[in-house]
Amino acid sequence: MSATHASHAQAAHSHVGRYLKVWLALMVLTAATWGLSRFHIPGAAGVAVALAIASVKGGLVALFFMHLYDQSGPNRLVLLTSLVFVTLLIGLTILDNATRFPLANPPDSVTAPQHLRDAVLGARPAVPAKPPAH
Amino acid sequence: MSSGTANPALAHHFESLEKQTQAQRLGMWLFLATEILLFTALFAAYGVYRYLYADAFSTASRSLATWMGGVNTFVLVTSSLTVALGLDAAARGNGKRSGGLFFLSIAMGLVFMVLKGIEYRHHFASGELPGQYYTGDIAGSGGSLFFTLYFLITGLHAFHVIIGMTVLAVIGAKSWLGAYSAEYHTPVELAGLYWHLVDLIWIFVFPLIYLI
Repeated sequence: MSATHASHAQAAHSHVGRYLKVWLALMVLTAATWGLSRFHIPGAAGVAVALAIASVKGGLVALFFMHLYDQSGPNRLVLLTSLVFVTLLIGLTILDNATRFPLANPPDSVTAPQHLRDAVLGARPAVPAKPPAH
Repeated sequence: MSSGTANPALAHHFESLEKQTQAQRLGMWLFLATEILLFTALFAAYGVYRYLYADAFSTASRSLATWMGGVNTFVLVTSSLTVALGLDAAARGNGKRSGGLFFLSIAMGLVFMVLKGIEYRHHFASGELPGQYYTGDIAGSGGSLFFTLYFLITGLHAFHVIIGMTVLAVIGAKSWLGAYSAEYHTPVELAGLYWHLVDLIWIFVFPLIYLI
């Protein structure tokens, strides 16, 4: 019975304090990413900042709420393997479109030559002047 | 007496309850990996069209009510906390408290769904619909593509919230009725894992759809 007793002691160990700290961190990071988005950081930097904060939040959830921090190898390996394929699928698909001969992308996309975009979009501007409805 | 044989939850093909729990966790994680890849297909489509229609996507994203996405993030993160606290209660053999915390999480899931519903209604009213039904202000295919992906991603996520609430309701009720104990509460843990994954996916949906 000694093994059972050991696992009881482990199970009875409270995680409440840790859960509350992680929750607080998640709330602060949510407020931070929301606040930063109001500055409209241009281009890829804004995307990178938002995704970096989301990754930290996701990591906190997976490690502490989902207990990968204190559970052994195989479960972590499953998540990490899936993340490798996430990177491959998203990365290679975007790279495909980013490295194409421009005319192989849709004529009204940002990669198409300007005269083609103008022809497809007509006289209307691609983005109407409209105040953001925050 | 070997450890765990007395527990009726132990299936005959497992040597001990501990090994059974390890196997159940691994099975759940394999399932969660397939869920992640299901959403990844949509995120890849989002990535491609965001790249091709960068200006239209950022205009469409800014036209959304950011506060609704933000409040929903706070709500889901907090519901994840109450699910985690529910597991902690179950680990200490307090099934009533565990069930109660699961039902509190379901209530927050409902708040999430109501806010999402209000948002959808607003989109329907202003012609921000997927594909050929898009009648919004953005010229070219960008606006229509953004709202196609918006509805696919948030819609699939909302389905997962509904499934998650159902799972929490079933396991929460069983927990309340005393089906689990400090020795065996793996279903509580696995239901929690599912809910945390739903939260985890929203953590990425929020910045992608609302913020950038």
